[in-house]
Amino acid sequence: MKLPAFLRQFNGPLTEQLVLEPGSFHLGQVPAHHQADAVQHSICGYCSTGCSLKIHQRENQPVNLSPDNAYPVNQGMACPKGWEALSPLKATNRATQPLLRDAAGILQPVSWHKALQVFVERFKQIQSNEGPDALAFLSTGQIPSEEMALLGALAKFGMGIRHGDGNTRQCMATAVVAYKQSFGFDAPPYTYQDFEASEVIVFIGANPCIAHPIMWQRVMQNPNHPEIIVIDPRKTETAMAATLHLPLAPKSDLALFYGIAHLLIEHQAIDRSFIESHTSGFSDFLHFINDCTLDKTVEQSGLSAESILTLVDLIASGKRTSFWWTMGVNQSHEGVRVAQAIINIALMTGNIGKPGTGANSITGQCNAMGSRLFSNTTSLLGGHEFTNPDHRQKVAQCLDLPLETIPSENCWAYDQIIAGIEADQVKGLWVIATNPAHSWTNRNKLKKIREQLDFLVVQDMYMDTETAQIADLVLPAAGWGEKEGTFINSERRIGVLHKVSRAPGQALADFYIFKAIAHQWGCADRFTRWESPEATFKLLAQLTQDRPCDISAIEGYDQIEARGGIQWPYANPSIDGSQERRLFEDGRFYTADEKARFCFEAIQPLPESPSEAYPFWLLTGRGTSSQWHTQTRTGNSDVLRKLYPQDCYVEINQLDALSRGIRSGDVLHVRTERGSIKADAYVSPSVPPGILFLPMHYDGVNELTLDTFDPYSRQPSYKANAASIDKN
Amino acid sequence: MISSPSAPPKKNNGLIVEQSPIDSYLAQQQQLQTPVARFSDKHASLTAEGAQSYSDLIPLSKPSAHQQYAFEVNLDQCTGCKACVAGCHSMNGLNENEMWRDVGTIIDTQSAQPYQQTITSACHHCIDPACLNGCPVLAYDKDPVTGIVRHLDDQCIGCQYCVLTCPYDVPKFSDSLGIVRKCDMCHQRLEVGEAPACVQACPTEAIKITLVDVPVIIEQSKDVSSFLPGAPSPQITQPTTQYISSKPIPQTAQAADANSLRPEHAHFPLVFMLTLSQGGIGALIIAAVAFLMQHSDLSGATLRIIGTAYFFAALGISVLHLGRPQGAWRAFLGWRKSWLSREILVFGPFAGLAFGYMTLYFIPSSNYIFVPFNNYIEQCLAGLVIAIGLTAILASSMVYVATKRFSWRAPITFNSFYGSALVIGLAATLPVTSSIYFTLGFLLAVAVRLSIESLRLRAVFKPNHLDHLLARRCLTSLKGYTVSRFSTALLASFCAITATTQPALSTLFGALALLFITLSELMERTLFFQSVVAPKMPGGFRR
Repeated sequence: MKLPAFLRQFNGPLTEQLVLEPGSFHLGQVPAHHQADAVQHSICGYCSTGCSLKIHQRENQPVNLSPDNAYPVNQGMACPKGWEALSPLKATNRATQPLLRDAAGILQPVSWHKALQVFVERFKQIQSNEGPDALAFLSTGQIPSEEMALLGALAKFGMGIRHGDGNTRQCMATAVVAYKQSFGFDAPPYTYQDFEASEVIVFIGANPCIAHPIMWQRVMQNPNHPEIIVIDPRKTETAMAATLHLPLAPKSDLALFYGIAHLLIEHQAIDRSFIESHTSGFSDFLHFINDCTLDKTVEQSGLSAESILTLVDLIASGKRTSFWWTMGVNQSHEGVRVAQAIINIALMTGNIGKPGTGANSITGQCNAMGSRLFSNTTSLLGGHEFTNPDHRQKVAQCLDLPLETIPSENCWAYDQIIAGIEADQVKGLWVIATNPAHSWTNRNKLKKIREQLDFLVVQDMYMDTETAQIADLVLPAAGWGEKEGTFINSERRIGVLHKVSRAPGQALADFYIFKAIAHQWGCADRFTRWESPEATFKLLAQLTQDRPCDISAIEGYDQIEARGGIQWPYANPSIDGSQERRLFEDGRFYTADEKARFCFEAIQPLPESPSEAYPFWLLTGRGTSSQWHTQTRTGNSDVLRKLYPQDCYVEINQLDALSRGIRSGDVLHVRTERGSIKADAYVSPSVPPGILFLPMHYDGVNELTLDTFDPYSRQPSYKANAASIDKN
Repeated sequence: MISSPSAPPKKNNGLIVEQSPIDSYLAQQQQLQTPVARFSDKHASLTAEGAQSYSDLIPLSKPSAHQQYAFEVNLDQCTGCKACVAGCHSMNGLNENEMWRDVGTIIDTQSAQPYQQTITSACHHCIDPACLNGCPVLAYDKDPVTGIVRHLDDQCIGCQYCVLTCPYDVPKFSDSLGIVRKCDMCHQRLEVGEAPACVQACPTEAIKITLVDVPVIIEQSKDVSSFLPGAPSPQITQPTTQYISSKPIPQTAQAADANSLRPEHAHFPLVFMLTLSQGGIGALIIAAVAFLMQHSDLSGATLRIIGTAYFFAALGISVLHLGRPQGAWRAFLGWRKSWLSREILVFGPFAGLAFGYMTLYFIPSSNYIFVPFNNYIEQCLAGLVIAIGLTAILASSMVYVATKRFSWRAPITFNSFYGSALVIGLAATLPVTSSIYFTLGFLLAVAVRLSIESLRLRAVFKPNHLDHLLARRCLTSLKGYTVSRFSTALLASFCAITATTQPALSTLFGALALLFITLSELMERTLFFQSVVAPKMPGGFRR
């Protein structure tokens, strides 16, 4: 109906708010009130996919964000966390001032001068009174490599802190150790292009549809109509999209992979020439899996013979097969051996070093890869070993440090540091950008031993994380977008992040905090070359020379950005020139004999299994694509919050629910030997009978998890707990 | 001495003291390097225009006659990343808490293979949009060429009726703006050949824009199973979104939030508006009937005043429901299709009528007008009060019946609204008359009313009953209101009995009975709004 304007308003001030205009910088149509006068690119600070994001700025303020279309990793796409990367910066619970707990037990704002003073005083005091093991730090996989390196160097070479680890222990340590033992170096061998080139894609204990959606995008772009196999007790989103789902019994992975290896040998589907030329230890392995028959495998895994044989046939077909894994493998009481069992299958079928193949550990955090090389915790800075005198010599020389400042022993891992607190050996703890009071396994234990610490320092973006709440001193840190540096993504690609926003109040980039502490401690002279993040990067690049992760040919940030990120190694631009590179194309590994090793071991008994009192398996994992870990960041975005259930929920199978009179929405108590929490029942098709699933993001979930660790990686298992449920 | 961290370098006898390291870092932290525009441009130029060409995701040509644009969602590709929601939000510059696209899950635990599927939906740009039909001010326009249903933000008065009429829960009310907004299929982008935000943002290209034939959609929509299991029936509005998959979708699949006990919005201004307007109309009708039947007690002013006061209070409060009341004068525009428009068109005159009927009592009949003529006017007005009053309640009822929500089907809504009028109207007589018949009438009406409501709650024992979820909500998440509703009704009854048995206290207890039953009816109306099973697209699990 055509009415006059005053009767029917097609335009006006409200309509104006949504008007779009052509954007500059090839942005397409943008909201007029978000028009940008500049754009900055930065690698996302959430997961290890390492997408590049374009931050739209106006008058030096970030006004909007979209994915970078020119970057080879994400090709113009991002998951909702990436789209919402700016929201967490504006949160009202940002730490903006140092906070010191006073005599009455209340955290009071203090100046940085005071905070630094107290920090150094207390820590030095503890160090002199309590011995060499008394101080420790717990770091993270979510700060730039430059900051990780500065922290690691400062702590170990400057402050004489013996023990330090990172939260990467909780997710990637297994893959690290598995690769080190099998390949001779912690080297995930793939490039994302392998997702598109593979013909048989096997996901093990991984749910990329929601955990790494932009990697899943590459699978969807695969033109080969690949077989997609998901090995996971749950029928996850990825399992729904797969061509074959193997819902194995929890933690029966090792049995399954040894069984598959056995069957591949039976089918004569192995690459003998590859095995001979490029591997060692195969005959021992062959002997070891001799009695891993199909029947035994069926019994141990709970899978049908048919489904196992289907998988074997697919691998045996000679098609390019790639294996990808995440936490289902890494978080286990025998995770290293499981990862190696997968590596063994790749090795014995020659599925390594070619496009679309590989035994590929997908990394979790945005810079866990940087942590593995540069945190100076498990490995000596730059991909070296503390126990190797030549390495120590090289590092000392390169960094202008006295040789005796470089420790010659490996230090305690996360769980050993926690045990050290319990044993009254560790009295001072410095926690940086991680939230152990939520995320550490069997965390009631952690809460109890907190009191045994004389001084707990928490350095974080937010002042109210579960860990900050129990700290003695809180140091306000700047977050992603408020600092610069580099990250390394899952496919070894180094990318740059920029400062696009001003940190609130007196929050400082961790880099500056470490520098300030160095000054206060009196060891600043050891770090004069560590002037700025980029200067630090160049220093680290030189340090990596002649190591497998050699990046000494990288000139600086500009070059990295101009080339769309650079994967390591990058020692020789003429060899390492192309944008997407995989490792081991020449079949040469990083071991002394340049051969990959077959590593294996007898299957270990389960640390805990369902019993009469606790008749269910309880698994934990990622809930949705919009939740990140302990939710200190994603919980601050309205958009992301709308995309997941607000309260803790537990997935329960239909039959289990029916037999107990449970309906979706009922409030349940979920119990293990260690504790009990409340959760809303969600009768879900994704869990089979006898299995419960809790997303890790909700406070309290880790009161239930068992603190069992892989003996080689010291990574906690988190999964496969025995649990019971009852109605409120 | 602790110096302030933001202090400038100190001057000491003309010498500038250097900043301490921490101060220098604090200063550096606040510096932003202006990105080199030249580099940014150069980087951007690495992309072909807009890098992706989305040409295979939007139609090459505009719709021809009998065609329109529609979303096409490939469920095989939609694997739960939810980037579409965030992309739409950022690319359209929405307010912080505002989202135009929703994502949920449908699950099936009954079929042989466990099944779950992510569902993404924005607006279905229906052939016969309920939002458009219900809007009293014609603030929706369906483009004759593209078929896009566009909300006219400046025309909107924020009544939120479209939120109730849309079977898919698409329009979203914004508290800060006072209007609803919704997906417009990025019509501005489509106009320049660019793909909508969600289409661009989906990493797996699950969302496309396609062309559909309108007559085909109309025909298809007759089959309730043609749209999407777990989603509301397409029969009401003929949604155009195409959900496709190479795999069969189990017809028994349900939304993951299908059994949520979370109450719906109370819409409190409407709770008051409906209860008080109906109570007022009830009182006025009884006053009018009493007048026509020449009942001595109730022909007086009191009942009329009570009734008129209730009605005007209702009108006043109702304005609070509008996000942008300044445009409300246009509410007559939608009279052709919108029951809300019609309700307003009846309420207006009724207000005048009520006021007139009340004031007429006070105009001395002997002064100006011939007595029988005056009486004749009063009789006419009384008749009109009854007729228009009943029509007003009918219009109010139809507003909710027209949403086609099962919980608000005609017998239920008529019973609820006319019932309020009856019990409050009868209660209003209690402070005025001591006649036992009105007390008994009141008690009977309350008893019948509570019985009907109790019987409806039996559905809590019948999991397959369509009112099952509603009943569960009344007895769990809304238990407080249910208990209050019944207990205040009982209180009102006791007050009514006391008013009759203790004549000295009859006015007081009569008034208390009126107060308590009004409260009780307000509770009932709150339950009406909050227990309703509101149809929507599948959401994610929630309690």
